[in-house]
Amino acid sequence: MTSSLPTDFWGRILFLITNYSSSFLRGAGTTVAIAVVGTAVGCLIGFIVGIIQTIPVNPNDSKIKKVLLWIVNAILKVYVEVFRGTPMIVQAMFIYYGALMYLDIKMGMWFAAFFIVSINTGAYMAETVRGGIISVDWGQTEGAMSIGMNHYQTMLYVVFPQALRNIIPQIGNNLIINIKDSSVLSVIGTVELFYAAKQTAGAYYWYFESMTIAMAVYLVMTLLTSFLLRSGRKNWTALRSSNLRRPIPWRLQAGCSTDRRERTGG
Amino acid sequence: MSDEIIRVSHLGKAFGNNVVLRDINFTVSKGDVTSIIGSSGSGKSTLLRCINLLETPTSGEILYHGVPINSKNVNACEYRTHVGMVFQSFNLFNNMTVLDNCVIGQTKVLKKKKDDAVINAVKYLEKVGMSPYINARPHQLSGGQKQRVAIARALAMDPEVLLFDEPTSALDPEMVGEVLAVMRDLAREGMTMIVVTHEMAFARDVSNHVIFMSEGVICEEGPPEEIFKNPKNERTREFLSRFTQN
Repeated sequence: MTSSLPTDFWGRILFLITNYSSSFLRGAGTTVAIAVVGTAVGCLIGFIVGIIQTIPVNPNDSKIKKVLLWIVNAILKVYVEVFRGTPMIVQAMFIYYGALMYLDIKMGMWFAAFFIVSINTGAYMAETVRGGIISVDWGQTEGAMSIGMNHYQTMLYVVFPQALRNIIPQIGNNLIINIKDSSVLSVIGTVELFYAAKQTAGAYYWYFESMTIAMAVYLVMTLLTSFLLRSGRKNWTALRSSNLRRPIPWRLQAGCSTDRRERTGG
Repeated sequence: MSDEIIRVSHLGKAFGNNVVLRDINFTVSKGDVTSIIGSSGSGKSTLLRCINLLETPTSGEILYHGVPINSKNVNACEYRTHVGMVFQSFNLFNNMTVLDNCVIGQTKVLKKKKDDAVINAVKYLEKVGMSPYINARPHQLSGGQKQRVAIARALAMDPEVLLFDEPTSALDPEMVGEVLAVMRDLAREGMTMIVVTHEMAFARDVSNHVIFMSEGVICEEGPPEEIFKNPKNERTREFLSRFTQN
């Protein structure tokens, strides 16, 4: 069989596809799973951290609340800065081997992968959520306060829905980033697409051919994701603008108004 | 006096070392329309924001039916449902329709039933002439329309007092009239209002009490005839002469 191994580029590609497609596909599946779960959990972490970081402190609040909030915020700040300021590939080995050698925890492949991607995405999303919240005009908060809403209601009904508009595109970006960056998890033995490609390459020393396939699969995944995100956004926008054009009950339409001010046009 | 709603007593406010309000005293009774006038930076808006607890006073008291509301054990949210506020920059909720802007406070804060809240909201939107636009979003409206919706939103909470923070200052001149007309109607119906304004004609014709402020203190107060026809304070005279000139 060794004598019949192809020697040209396309022959080798075809050979790898016919014999190792299941290995590549399983790797791609793992990559997608890690990216999707990591992004989802990371967003959850980001939302929680971002919301806590924007809790306002009133001069009238009790001392205990002020101190507690200060401590929690300090911890969160350290978390965000550490995980945004170090490479994920180093974080992966740091956490995996740290847990193994000093806490005696042997993380499973899936758990380790989800944990590292989530916690990394969470740090980025926390900043996005915080930015999204503080970018909403302070007048919106004052308007909500003026009709008696508390902080929780103000956030839930007024500020957060508006912040979400700025946050959603960033969630999509993180998903695409995670599809690519989950490849660094190969250093802790997670069998995702890059790891599978490397294994296959090692069997014949066909690194270039194997990586060509990996490149193509990654590109298909990211292009497909951004296509889905774009069409999703388009549908969402269409839905919103169709709501705007919802018919107004006839008795309330402009021409039927009994109000003088309306007819004369202020 | 049983009709007294709000009493401001020795109120002071400072931002750091910058003293904005000093020893402010006045009362508002049921049905009063109180206009606060004065040049920019005299502390008018800060005073109004203190009354609604959007700013925390640094000294003195604000009594609502005799209860000091700027103490720690008073629920500011509950208090604000009784004292509505209309802002210079409208502050309508951009993520909601006109109707929802007027409904959300009733259902979420006052815990009213949705149907009752909608009926109430439409009633007030009709009153301000904005009922044809109930499904519109704030960004589709003109400034004057937005401000009328903001008034309806405040009214829909059935407040006892309504505070207006320069409600016409951000409007084009041709839109000022429609907002003032709504405010005149409210005054005629006996709504208790405190209005910070640069509209001297409104202060003179509609209010029954005028407060002139300068540099953080009340220089002069009294019925509009007195303030406008016969101002005693030098600074009041100077301020008003600038308005009568043009």
